[in-house]
Amino acid sequence: MAELKTTQIVGNPHLEGKYIAEMDMWPLEDPALNRLYPFYDNMKQSRWTTTKCKKCGYISYPPGVACPNCWSDELEWIDLPRTAKVVGMTETLAGAPTGFDSPLIIAWLGFDKAHPLKHLLVRIINCQAGQLKIGDEVKFVTFEVPAHPMDVKKESKTCERVYYAFEPIKK
Amino acid sequence: MAQTKKACIVGGGTSVFGVRAASIFDMLQEAANAMSKDIPGLKPKDIDGLIFASTTAGRNSNSLNTAPIVAHRLGIKPTSICVRVDTLCSGSNTAIILATGLVESGISEVVLVTGTEKLNLPQRWESTFMNLYTNDHDWDSAMGLAVPPPFFGMIAQAHMKKYGTTKEQMGAVAVANYAYGFNNPMAQFSGKTLSLGDYMAARTVCDPFGLNDCCPVTDGASAVIIASEERAKAMTKRPLIYIRGTGQTASHGMSAGWPGETLADWPHLKKAGEIAYKAAQLTPKDIDVAQTHDCFTISEIIEVEELGFCKKGEGGAFVASGQIKVDGQTPTNTDGGLLTVGHPYGATGARQAIEICKQLQGRALHQVKDAKFGLTHNLSGVCAQHTVVIYGTEPVK
Ligand SMILES: [Zn+2]
Repeated sequence: MAELKTTQIVGNPHLEGKYIAEMDMWPLEDPALNRLYPFYDNMKQSRWTTTKCKKCGYISYPPGVACPNCWSDELEWIDLPRTAKVVGMTETLAGAPTGFDSPLIIAWLGFDKAHPLKHLLVRIINCQAGQLKIGDEVKFVTFEVPAHPMDVKKESKTCERVYYAFEPIKK
Repeated sequence: MAQTKKACIVGGGTSVFGVRAASIFDMLQEAANAMSKDIPGLKPKDIDGLIFASTTAGRNSNSLNTAPIVAHRLGIKPTSICVRVDTLCSGSNTAIILATGLVESGISEVVLVTGTEKLNLPQRWESTFMNLYTNDHDWDSAMGLAVPPPFFGMIAQAHMKKYGTTKEQMGAVAVANYAYGFNNPMAQFSGKTLSLGDYMAARTVCDPFGLNDCCPVTDGASAVIIASEERAKAMTKRPLIYIRGTGQTASHGMSAGWPGETLADWPHLKKAGEIAYKAAQLTPKDIDVAQTHDCFTISEIIEVEELGFCKKGEGGAFVASGQIKVDGQTPTNTDGGLLTVGHPYGATGARQAIEICKQLQGRALHQVKDAKFGLTHNLSGVCAQHTVVIYGTEPVK
């Protein structure tokens, strides 16, 4: 079980020790808070998944509870191929937004023709500044993000979370 | 509902744009004050509709359901509409489209469109952090996409690679817009000069952008009046300026839905332009003066292409050959644009509209000779939405 990390609140002492969902930079992944929780559960098994429409065959990204192509709610979860090619990239060497370390490497990915996605903006992790080049192959990778508390009747539950990024494939 | 009336822009005003020692409500009152000087005789009681544009009012200024508060502070008692729109960078341009529809349909007679943003917060980190909440939060923002320079930097790289656009050509946009903004008293960079040498030597923000490729972080407010032809005529002795056509496209909110083959191609802007030109019964050649969304130098280069002022891929050569200058083919961002006036998102569209109104009435600081037709354009967010409005000295027949 992840431990809840605490922080000092400056200037607003009455918020000391409180979790502020409005300031959270990660999704609320718990099944009590959304209907896409299979995406996050699958991610905990290192799977990259999305929803496919059983009616029209459309694969949407991000996943959803209704198909953006025909609005059917008969969807199934499918696995996405987990490699891509770097088409564009940018490195923020200093001054990344709070919550993200510098260098912050963001890439514009291209996928091969068989992949349901055409392009996607992602963060590249496990990578030094200056290491990544346009044309490089990268792969899906998951990491833990801070847990948050949630009220459940009179108790408080800890909601653990993961998220994903891409990383260079070692040559 | 059949269109029965014609909608005009009567005039408007803005606060000073910049890092302001003022709240959104202070700046909205400043903009109303400036507007009252632009439209002598206009009184709060003349206005029956309010459309207020702001995306960050709820977050940065702790003010949700802001429209009734704005009405109160400006002394307006709306009877036809009172609403806030939240389309980030195109907020008040979106509001102008809505106001046009309300006036043309007869629901409203005189609509105040006003927009504002307070983007400079007590601590700098939060001004950046806040931007995580303006993208698709659970998907793109969770990748660290907050402020736009990294995304537009990749757009510039793609345009340079595909079309051979150069850093010097991007510099031509910055130099032109700084020259326009130099004597605009409301601009954040009023009085600042920029040579191509200064531009090339500026410190890097993110490849390939230097400091002068990017619009600054700005607080500000703007206000314009959209009214029926009859009410406009009663309000001003100046030539009437008609809204001839509008278009707004939204193709995707998250990067996976990007509509172009590459980041250098913006088909959703091309489409928004085509819809507006058709409604206006005009072609790109007819546009005498334009205000396009120069959040970055590369944006203006792609916009002059997709709006049809030059061929696709030739935007770099177009701007570098002086076609955006006041004596060029399509003078663009003649008040200094986002690059020098600044970009308080919800205030920008109305600020652009004021410049086009002045140009078509023959009273702009950098006056384009005999300007009859003008265009404003905004993109919103990470190039998710495009908004185009076309104005003319005569209505569509
Ligand atoms: Zn479907």
